[in-house]
Amino acid sequence: MTQTPVTTATVAAARPATWWTPRWSNWRLALVVAAVVLPASALTLPVNAAFWLSLAAATLVAVTAVVDAWGRRRGPLLVAPALALLFVTNLFPLMWSLGLSFFRYRANRGAAPVFAGFANYQTVFASPIVWDRLQTTALVVILTVGTQMIVGFLLALLFEKEFPGRRVLLMLVLTPMMLSYVAIGAFFRYYYEPTFGLLSQAVRVFTGRPFILLDTPARALAGIIVADAWMWSPFVMLLVLSGLVSVPAYLYEAAEVDRASWWRRFWTITFPYIRSLLLLALLFRTIEAFKIFDVVFLLTEGGPGTSTETIGVYVYRLAFQYFRTGESTALAYILLFIVVVLTNLYLYFVKQRSAEA
Amino acid sequence: MSDLLVSGAVKRFGDVEALRGVDLEVGAGEFFCVLGPSGAGKTTLLRAVAGLERLDAGTIRSGGRDLTHAPVQGRGIGMIFQTFALYPHLTVHDNLAYPLREARLDPAQIERRVGEVAELLRIGHTLRRRPATLSGGEQQRVAIGRAIIRRSKLLLLDEPLTNLDAKLRHDTRVEFKRLHRELRMTMLYATPDQLEALTMAERIGVLREGRIVQVGTPRDLYQAPGDSFVAALVGAPRMNLLPAVLANGGRAVALPFLEVDGGPWATALGRFPAGTELWFGIRPHDLAPTVDAQAGPRFRATVHLTEPLGDVTVLDLTVGGTVFKMVLPEERAVRYRVGDEVPVGFAVANTHVFSRQTGTAIR
Repeated sequence: MTQTPVTTATVAAARPATWWTPRWSNWRLALVVAAVVLPASALTLPVNAAFWLSLAAATLVAVTAVVDAWGRRRGPLLVAPALALLFVTNLFPLMWSLGLSFFRYRANRGAAPVFAGFANYQTVFASPIVWDRLQTTALVVILTVGTQMIVGFLLALLFEKEFPGRRVLLMLVLTPMMLSYVAIGAFFRYYYEPTFGLLSQAVRVFTGRPFILLDTPARALAGIIVADAWMWSPFVMLLVLSGLVSVPAYLYEAAEVDRASWWRRFWTITFPYIRSLLLLALLFRTIEAFKIFDVVFLLTEGGPGTSTETIGVYVYRLAFQYFRTGESTALAYILLFIVVVLTNLYLYFVKQRSAEA
Repeated sequence: MSDLLVSGAVKRFGDVEALRGVDLEVGAGEFFCVLGPSGAGKTTLLRAVAGLERLDAGTIRSGGRDLTHAPVQGRGIGMIFQTFALYPHLTVHDNLAYPLREARLDPAQIERRVGEVAELLRIGHTLRRRPATLSGGEQQRVAIGRAIIRRSKLLLLDEPLTNLDAKLRHDTRVEFKRLHRELRMTMLYATPDQLEALTMAERIGVLREGRIVQVGTPRDLYQAPGDSFVAALVGAPRMNLLPAVLANGGRAVALPFLEVDGGPWATALGRFPAGTELWFGIRPHDLAPTVDAQAGPRFRATVHLTEPLGDVTVLDLTVGGTVFKMVLPEERAVRYRVGDEVPVGFAVANTHVFSRQTGTAIR
């Protein structure tokens, strides 16, 4: 049990504090109250009332926790503002949207949400559009991650060796990773621009006509993949490079003495050192590519038609253009689940690698 | 017949000259040690022979072929690295089989050879394991196995015992001797440890700052060191080297507390002017407490420190500010305590004299 504060020591001696004793410092009780109030109000009361009641319950938990910690745990109290901010901007919206995914609700109408159980999830799973967008996403993921892995790997092989200007070139190659998505999107928008874009002008030299890259579904897809791969190949390169330079030089020397061919040297010595790193790069980039939104939205807005609309873009449209709020939150949670699974897979391999080392 | 002939080998790394014209001749089937302190160029010499370093000047020939510019793969040598350099992601079996895979042997033959080598080195039980799960001694033997499995004529060993503990070192020394006898390979063995060189080598080449300063059998090096560097390097505890001058008309060596004459160096000293600065060398084993009737030079010294080593004891003695060591069997040393005075004598035949200016032995 925690130490009873000195001021209430006499009371505590007479009646030991338990989790049900109503007292301003009893945050455990507040937590229990909140745990009961939140779902109960969400299910029974109108949304407005439920919102404010939930907020009040959350505030109660926060206040009791602060009172309990006052004067005793200065350190945790100091991070309390940060925790409060995290709660207000992250955790609460997260919970709230989880709640919303079980309601029929449109954020642009005044109508109160109506509880709908798993209806939103059913709609989403049954929707052919969702499956179509998932297929588009899968295509983007496979192509862009594949490109990044190959380009990144080849870049790493190049930068493993010392050559004049290596440091400068390495820095230049790493630059795209440090730019923001929006900047990349804007750059490539101008590269691909039909009238004065670099690409179009370059093609015009040969064909005499302007070149509209984002014109057909296949070319639009290629445009997105090139932009995304340009940005993230350096990331794969960094990971692979760190594996390549960790191979002790004497192993290569021993292999030379043992007359191993280049090919065998690579598979028996180099590859085992970068295998787990390649896997990490693959998973990490797959997770990121699965969520792809910025580049697609800035370059093609999902077009032409809906041919490059990835699932991320579709969630955005569902939520903020069609205002099918309930459905969009349900879809967002399904995506979150997929990402969580992938992330755990990623963490599993990270741990395995550190166990190997 | 010589199996390896290195002549005029020069290797520079930037401003540093690692090899400054090394000449070396190793006979077929010989166990040859390159002995020298760290930084003398031993590893560079071995790596140059292996082809891992390109010489700036000089040639390397082996078995009648000029290897100076041959690629590493074509040299037909085996090498054991100081770090063992086992392939960490392959099993012991695959490590051993590695050099054979490119030789286009059929699988059955590879298996047979791996089996033979594993039996020879007694590592049969480890074949399925990864190197990281093996003890230091087992890793060492896998490294040896991988180096000898291709049955190359020449085996290079770069300080192979440095990463082993004391007991394993002793066992592996014996192992190397056994292997050398059974395999009849030419072995070029680099070590900073004079004990390894003395116990294993048929001949030793002492390397100092990129030059070979003396080549000879262990007996040669111990009994007739060519200069004060070799004298100090070979033998433990190291030879006492005391500053002395040439006195008495060029016939006697004058120490601050004693004058010695009539040694094996007496005639040769005649060529030097009186007052020449010398090192007077005598091994700690060649000093002993005198019995009265004994002939030869003698003097009295004070016990400064004792180091019992079990069977023998090393006594640090001082006489007039000069400190030197004497080794005695335990039963004779036990009566001396720190501060005691000891009458010390030696046979003149066992003494060495070196020029202090050049370090060269005078005899």
